[in-house]
Amino acid sequence: MSSTAETATHHLALQVEDLHVSYGPKRAVDGVSLEINEGEIFGLLGPNGAGKTSTLSAIEGLLRPDSGSIRIGDVDAAANPTAAKARMGVQLQSTSFQSNLTIREIVRLYAGLYGVPLSRAEIEDLLADIHLGEEASKRFSQLSGGQQKRVSLLIATIHNPPLVLLDEPTAGLDPQARRQLWHRIERLRDTGRSILLTTHSMEEAQAVDHGKLLTVDTPAGLIEKHKDDPRVRKVAHGQVTLDDVFIGLTGSELRD
Amino acid sequence: MSSQTSAPPVHPPTLSGILRALLEADFTVQLRNGRALTLTFLLPLVLLYGLSAGKRRAQLGGPIVDVALALTLGIASIAILGYTASVARDRELGVFQRLRVTPAPTWTIMLSRLAVQIVSMLVMSVVVLVAAAVVENVTLDPAAYLLTLLAVIFSSAVFLGVGQALVGLIKSPDAVNAVGRLSYLPLFALGLFAHSTIFGTTFETIARWSPGGAVVTLLAGAMQPAAWSADTWWALLASVFYAVVFAGIGIRWFQWSTR
Repeated sequence: MSSTAETATHHLALQVEDLHVSYGPKRAVDGVSLEINEGEIFGLLGPNGAGKTSTLSAIEGLLRPDSGSIRIGDVDAAANPTAAKARMGVQLQSTSFQSNLTIREIVRLYAGLYGVPLSRAEIEDLLADIHLGEEASKRFSQLSGGQQKRVSLLIATIHNPPLVLLDEPTAGLDPQARRQLWHRIERLRDTGRSILLTTHSMEEAQAVDHGKLLTVDTPAGLIEKHKDDPRVRKVAHGQVTLDDVFIGLTGSELRD
Repeated sequence: MSSQTSAPPVHPPTLSGILRALLEADFTVQLRNGRALTLTFLLPLVLLYGLSAGKRRAQLGGPIVDVALALTLGIASIAILGYTASVARDRELGVFQRLRVTPAPTWTIMLSRLAVQIVSMLVMSVVVLVAAAVVENVTLDPAAYLLTLLAVIFSSAVFLGVGQALVGLIKSPDAVNAVGRLSYLPLFALGLFAHSTIFGTTFETIARWSPGGAVVTLLAGAMQPAAWSADTWWALLASVFYAVVFAGIGIRWFQWSTR
């Protein structure tokens, strides 16, 4: 979904055009194009293996695309990857940090990597802000899943990037932790950041299948656009929901 | 749900700032890894003491070669057991992928790791050389000391190259650990006989030109600059050759992620 489609000024935070990514003979992303405006949360929704993480990895610079272009703001990511990476914050699907470092040291390391010198007091303040002031001396592996996600999000945004990429940020979280995290994501959006996230949650995203962008709209728009699609009608029980649109468009069979 | 404020402008980090942050973190990790540190300092000291107390020490080459062997064992331990294990583990955990999405160029990530290993090897070498003065009565003048530390850096390149090749060719941390332990002993053990004809001249020649043997000859030569010979030059060339070949293999096939 594109939850802020009505953004007044359309400065692009991210522009992806005709992106193709392959793993050997297997095509993971097939001609994806998307644009994200400033202050917009843009979700990529799709079943496992649909190419969401591959799309994100190409934008993050972890994968070299076969073809296509990626612009982060006004920076061409292929021509200037360092400048592009400085303009984005990333939370990977499964994040880990050096096991012998404390949370405080991890924050200090990543602040340094993004060129944001932070004093010990500033780091303590940042950790207190995410309710982890007491955990500053712990190792990352000693934190709960929700606490780990909060640290990851803090590090992804430590340099106030215009674009934040979140790969399944709410996966594995209980409802309270999920709500807290969404509150933080919305706060980011409200301060002008653009957010691209992948998710399995119906309320959060676009529909992507096999690396091909199938449809782009708000959740209500998606339902309206596809409620009469025979594939959607076939799986709907009564009133069409976003779940029905998702399953109808991407198929109901299980994926790896 | 329109944006309230604009995101602030982004100032890209400087290379020196990136390197400082990486080195600080990597040194902290190294210092916290107490068991591995103890092992890498203890092993060469135990070998040095064992060789000095041994009855057949003269057949291995004498006190200078004993010290060179102890240094070689320490360098090999840090590189093949310590470095490869930490790289394989962090790769499996996804630590490198997290670092790669930052503006830090990939070469800075590896350079920082390697710099920490080389500093550890230099510190270990100073400890061994101090112990050698006590145990073996081997004392070096300042020029020999400096040359030896320079030779330690060349030697570290050989074994770090071997370690890099291991993590380049093998993905699983358990397999890297197992193969590291298996290859570590032959690599070092051959060096033991680089200056000995106990097993005949053919074996001595093979041992002398093995990675461990070349390093032992180089280190022994550096400790006696006055006796620096053609053999020492050849050992230096062989060390550079091994470092380039192994590091080349390691860099060519290294993958940042196991997934």
